Amino acid sequence: MIKLLRIEFKKIRSYKVFWILISLYFVFLAAGILLAEFMINHMVNNINSRMPIPFPHVAIYYFPDVWQNVTFFASIRYVLIFPAIIMIILIANEFTYKTIRQNVINGMSKTEFLISKLLIILLMAGVMTVILAAGAFFIGLSHSGFNEVDFFSKGVPFMMGFFISLICYMVYAFFCGFILRNTGLAIAIFTLYSLIIEPVIYFFLRAPFMFKNTIYTYLPVNSVIRLTEYPAIPMLKKLMGLNLQDHVSFVACLIPIGYAVIMTGIVFWVMNRKDL
Amino acid sequence: MESILQVDQLSKSFGKIKAVNQLSFKVGKGQVFGILGPNGSGKTTTLSMLLGLIPPDKGEFSWFGQPPSKESRKRIGSVIESPNFFPYLDAVTNLQIVADIKDKPYDDIDEVLQLASLYERRFSKFRTFSFGMRQRLAIASALLGKPEVLILDEPTNGLDPQGIAQIRELIALVASRGTTILLASHLLDEVQKICTYVLVLRNGVMLFSGDVKEVLSVSDSIEMAAADMHLLKTAVPELPGFSSITETDGIIQVHFSSTVKTSEVNAFLYQKGIVLSHLSEKKRSLEQHFLELLQDTP
Repeated sequence: MIKLLRIEFKKIRSYKVFWILISLYFVFLAAGILLAEFMINHMVNNINSRMPIPFPHVAIYYFPDVWQNVTFFASIRYVLIFPAIIMIILIANEFTYKTIRQNVINGMSKTEFLISKLLIILLMAGVMTVILAAGAFFIGLSHSGFNEVDFFSKGVPFMMGFFISLICYMVYAFFCGFILRNTGLAIAIFTLYSLIIEPVIYFFLRAPFMFKNTIYTYLPVNSVIRLTEYPAIPMLKKLMGLNLQDHVSFVACLIPIGYAVIMTGIVFWVMNRKDL
Repeated sequence: MESILQVDQLSKSFGKIKAVNQLSFKVGKGQVFGILGPNGSGKTTTLSMLLGLIPPDKGEFSWFGQPPSKESRKRIGSVIESPNFFPYLDAVTNLQIVADIKDKPYDDIDEVLQLASLYERRFSKFRTFSFGMRQRLAIASALLGKPEVLILDEPTNGLDPQGIAQIRELIALVASRGTTILLASHLLDEVQKICTYVLVLRNGVMLFSGDVKEVLSVSDSIEMAAADMHLLKTAVPELPGFSSITETDGIIQVHFSSTVKTSEVNAFLYQKGIVLSHLSEKKRSLEQHFLELLQDTP
């Protein structure tokens, strides 16, 4: 286990593309989170200028809602695509450079090879979740101060939800890179599906002329994003009567986990039958 | 002789094409074993099966007397087709990954890099290496951890003469240490120079296998010419070990199934009253023999 992680770590330690992409992810994420309140309130100001009774400003950086809000921003499609692309590159590179063959020739079993990639997914998801949690904690602390009573009630469930989202989405990416074996093609298809095709399908499934159903909740990417689907903005909830998410649904977690398990199963099955 | 590799009825098809067909052979400890065949004869497919990359359709093989496993692969150093390394990592890191996989310490890395004349460039990224350097790094990585068997697939393919010489020297050095070598090549000259034992493969079928020296010794022929060619042609079949005769441009080539000395031939014909105007021994190269072997079977 440790040995496999050590090998994986050597593969990425001086791989610039990896560090650039992971940095971009955090830069985008930090910028998104830190500008969000400003942008929302800017919109509120615009509306207020035409309204007799002004809306109050929103505050999204307070405990305990800050936990939910950062995970919401961190799992927006356009942001979550970064770790997925990293994962596609890491697996497809092994085919492009034929290092997967060399690893097996040198005495790594095919199963070990796959486990090493799954371990890297777990590790990346873990580290990214911890970084996000630390960020959320400091944002929350700097806005709420120490006199807040409810620090953590949303912390653990939403961070767990985000952790599961990351793992599942990266497993999808791993699956895509493994099956297509080509970096460019896999990134193109994965991005296209995640950002365009599935949203279009989602739109039609939810369209008014469709009979009422919940099939859309079973779309693979949507099911990942749905784990932390809405930000917590109490004001919106009160004003508009929207029934926004206030917890991570355990049942909802099972959908992406199910997909991830099936995909992992297919990858193992293919690996042990197909020629390298 | 202790058997390192035993292959039994190994077969693999890609669609309708039988890439490897019921191949059986044995490699003994310390042997320098050559698999010779034209491109597409199934050499790489065979080695890929032996190294766990391709599951065989039928047949079995065993390494070191045991069923193949990742543990047996750790005792083998291999270069299959192209050198496969991460282009963005330096030579040392690439070799460390290999050592990690093989459960070998890093102590050997400097030594194998020196053997492959890459020590000065050890911290250069693999992508900056020339073709010859890449090939040498592949061999260096195969030598890591002192493997009991070295498998080389077309190790000099695409190299310049100097590169070829370097690689061959390296192989000779490794062989002299008693390492068993399994070499696949389409170059007869290479097999002739390096190997002690050869297996000829065509369309996935073994045509022939045997000691390289034996292959050479049965392939002697002698060129002759005399004033009276007719008399010569009638006398020649009486020579001991005669097998066949061919004629080109007033010179006949006489082939023998066993080794014959030119002096004996000369003495024999002189007794018959034939004075030769031309007498020359032609050792047929393995290449001719190889081509003949390939032609014999439709």
